[in-house]
Amino acid sequence: AEELIMSSWLPPKHPIVVNAFEPWAKEVEKVTDGRVTVRIMGKPLGSPPAHFDMARDGIADITYGLHSFTEDDRFQRARLGQFSFLGDDAIANSKAYWKIYGGELDAAGEHEGTHLLGLFMHGPGLLHNNVRKIEKPEDMQGLKIRVPGGYVGDLVSALGATPLFMSSTEVYEKLSRGVIDGVAFTYEAMTAFNLVDYIKYSMTVPGGIYNTTWFFVINEDKWNSLSEEDRAAIDAISGEAFAERVGQAWNDADIAAKKKIGDKVDFYQASPAVVSALRGVASKLEQSWSDSLGDGYDGAAALAEFRGMTGVEVK
Amino acid sequence: MPDDPAPDMIPGRTPHRQALWYRLLAGVAALLIVMLIGVTCIDVIGRYAFNRPFGGAYELTQILLAALVFVALPLTSADGGHVEVDLALHLLPSRVQRLLGRLAGIISAMVLGYFTWRLVVIGLDQLHESTRSASLGLPMAPLAFLAAASCAVSAVSMILRREES
Amino acid sequence: MTISLVAFVILLVMVFARVPIAFAMVVVGGVGFALLRGWGPAGAMVGNAVFETGLNYSLSVVPLFIFMGNVLAGSGIARGLFSAADRVFGRMRGGLAMATVLSCGGFSAVCGSSLATAATMAKVTMPSMRRFGYSDSLATGAIAAGGTLGILIPPSVVLIIFGLLTEADIGKLFLAGIIPGILGIIGYLLAVMVAVRLKPELAPRVRDVHPMTRRDAVSVTAVLALFVFIMGGIYGGFFTPIEAAGMGAAAALLIALATGGLSRGALWTAFLDSATASAMIFAIIIGAEIFSNFVTFAGLPDSLSDLVENLGLSPWVVLMVIVAIYMVLGCFLESLSMILLTVPVFYPLVSNLDFGLASLESPDAVLIWFAIIVVVVTEISLITPPIGMNVFVLRSVLPDVSLGTIFRGVYIFWMADIVRLALIIALPVLSLYLVT
Ligand code: NA
Ligand code: NA
Repeated sequence: AEELIMSSWLPPKHPIVVNAFEPWAKEVEKVTDGRVTVRIMGKPLGSPPAHFDMARDGIADITYGLHSFTEDDRFQRARLGQFSFLGDDAIANSKAYWKIYGGELDAAGEHEGTHLLGLFMHGPGLLHNNVRKIEKPEDMQGLKIRVPGGYVGDLVSALGATPLFMSSTEVYEKLSRGVIDGVAFTYEAMTAFNLVDYIKYSMTVPGGIYNTTWFFVINEDKWNSLSEEDRAAIDAISGEAFAERVGQAWNDADIAAKKKIGDKVDFYQASPAVVSALRGVASKLEQSWSDSLGDGYDGAAALAEFRGMTGVEVK
Repeated sequence: MPDDPAPDMIPGRTPHRQALWYRLLAGVAALLIVMLIGVTCIDVIGRYAFNRPFGGAYELTQILLAALVFVALPLTSADGGHVEVDLALHLLPSRVQRLLGRLAGIISAMVLGYFTWRLVVIGLDQLHESTRSASLGLPMAPLAFLAAASCAVSAVSMILRREES
Repeated sequence: MTISLVAFVILLVMVFARVPIAFAMVVVGGVGFALLRGWGPAGAMVGNAVFETGLNYSLSVVPLFIFMGNVLAGSGIARGLFSAADRVFGRMRGGLAMATVLSCGGFSAVCGSSLATAATMAKVTMPSMRRFGYSDSLATGAIAAGGTLGILIPPSVVLIIFGLLTEADIGKLFLAGIIPGILGIIGYLLAVMVAVRLKPELAPRVRDVHPMTRRDAVSVTAVLALFVFIMGGIYGGFFTPIEAAGMGAAAALLIALATGGLSRGALWTAFLDSATASAMIFAIIIGAEIFSNFVTFAGLPDSLSDLVENLGLSPWVVLMVIVAIYMVLGCFLESLSMILLTVPVFYPLVSNLDFGLASLESPDAVLIWFAIIVVVVTEISLITPPIGMNVFVLRSVLPDVSLGTIFRGVYIFWMADIVRLALIIALPVLSLYLVT
């Protein structure tokens, strides 16, 4: 059998490792009648930001990671899935992302050197903090918020807060010591990083304040070395089917986290005033992203189509 | 005091050199340490005294640290400061000892030469993609080229040192 | 598993042929990776390891904690610690050796490295012990052993690296090291007492060696203040353990300048030593990263886990086997490489074992306890022949003492360490008391 090596940097017990990548790996063996197997390494073969290049360069065969970790302009069109108000259901988000970014926005062109196995997003991103409930836009002033980079950073800073960058494993240290006041994270990350005791208020808006986009790729040469039959079999359980699988894993993780947190944190919907302030900033950022894509790509239309698919209305 | 052996250095090797290039690099390294300390202090004091954290502290620390390590690498190599073990060698005739020493120097130089090449590849890649740091937007390619130059100088000094001894 | 073992043997052969350990790990790891995976991917992997290790934010503690120790070493504070400790034990037989142990423990509270602690204290304590007729073996043994406390008593570069490898809470690791560290001081003090009881000629009875000066009192106060500043800053929520290194270095610099004990030459040396030591450590980290990528790829961690599962061993037996492996590796491997190479292999194994520590109400109890066990076996490896780094450092500071003499003096401290290790394994609460 041909053994594919997959490098995984999330903790081995992370919900999407256990409920999406591992089952997918088993399924690969099944649908190829054992001709292709996937071995997930117990320890990553490089840092999380290196994981795209690791698949491209063949250090590992298969990797996954966040587009925003890569510190250059390679994944410009990938930002489609990182804006506000995109959708509350990780399955619908991931399917729309796979269809639109993978389709008319030519994701394959931005992932040169690899073959796409999946493109996905998680559930809605929230804004957590331990200082005050954000009732009006001015309440954002002066808060120090950890952001994953990119769009959320611009958003938070346009609203008057200070965005700070650090690795997600640093968040616990910094939040518990008051170095930061809050963090842009999902429900799931609150429990995964033990933050519940250090967060008081979590604000959400319909469709999420932000989202992160992920790639799941295999080295192109390795991919082409597989038989046509095996490639077809693997493709059939990847792409949209994987979007469904991983979306389900994110949704389940969010539900489990919400249950575990209970009423220890005050979850609240943003007030109309805050939502409209967010919209004002968001639409400017969306427009400048759309303008930056150049000829042949219509970012604004892609966003509209995305929201059509996930059922989010933006007035 | 300056002649004392360095606490974290490995025994029996030459003390720090006095050559101009060495003192120059050492001065840059000292400056980088001061800057590393400064970044942390500005960040910590800023956030308590003035509620103004230094947003770029995390990233600047990363970049200064990498610069420090690569600026210091030729110094360590020239000092013979890499951890090595010469216990079993005492049992061998001195001609064999010298041969092994030279061989070890060549292997080290080859490793450092290989590092140089790979770092140039990374630097060119970053130049091509115009890779920039996430929050401060600093270009990363110069750092890779600095690292490459550092490994190249270290490789040369590993070979020269063996010739001397 | 076979491939990994062959690789280890080749690594040891290269190391004994005087190839710097960092580069030996690169060669074996890189070539091994290339044979399994191709030269292109191996080259890319090596390049990433070199470039990204330098950019690892958390590793900024390495130069900064080392700089903090070096500044204090150059400022005469160590001498003050020794004088003060001498007041405690001055009248007892072996009192100077006991004062050496205690002042090593004190210096460990402001220095993150064992090698730096041993080298610094050697310069201060050795001349006095010689002047008063102490045997070289007892004197150097006390320094070599006392110096090992540098990585157990916080702050500690090794505990931070353990935390990075396992994503453990570094603040908790620091707290966990305190009681075992104090236990280490007590054990070494008892070792001195036993040694001079058995062989009174090792140490003459002397009194009032060092009159305590005002300057000495200032030194002790400064060390205490710095320790409180660092630990208080971390646990009071003012800065993270990573930031503590930068803050501690700044505070140490201020103290040294304020007390006027730091000459310009000594300051320059502190900078230079810190820079060169950091490059040396980073070279090892890079080498270990490359080697362990190869070992992971060759499937060593997986086969070990399978082996344990298939044999159906009890958790305690597994732990004893791991400790035994560490003791053997500790003879041959340099301490940092040992930790970098083994922790990623053993930690997943240990974290899945049930030692019944749940009663201690800390989810990461096993991890923290294991960290302390690993640090203590690493301390032991620092003074175990043939490759005991602390002993080597002493050789470089005291060129006229033979390796044999130092190792002869060390063995009684080594036995104290074994007793301490047994206690720490048998009573996890020693490591976990302050954490929970
Ligand atoms: Na210490
Ligand atoms: Na040893």
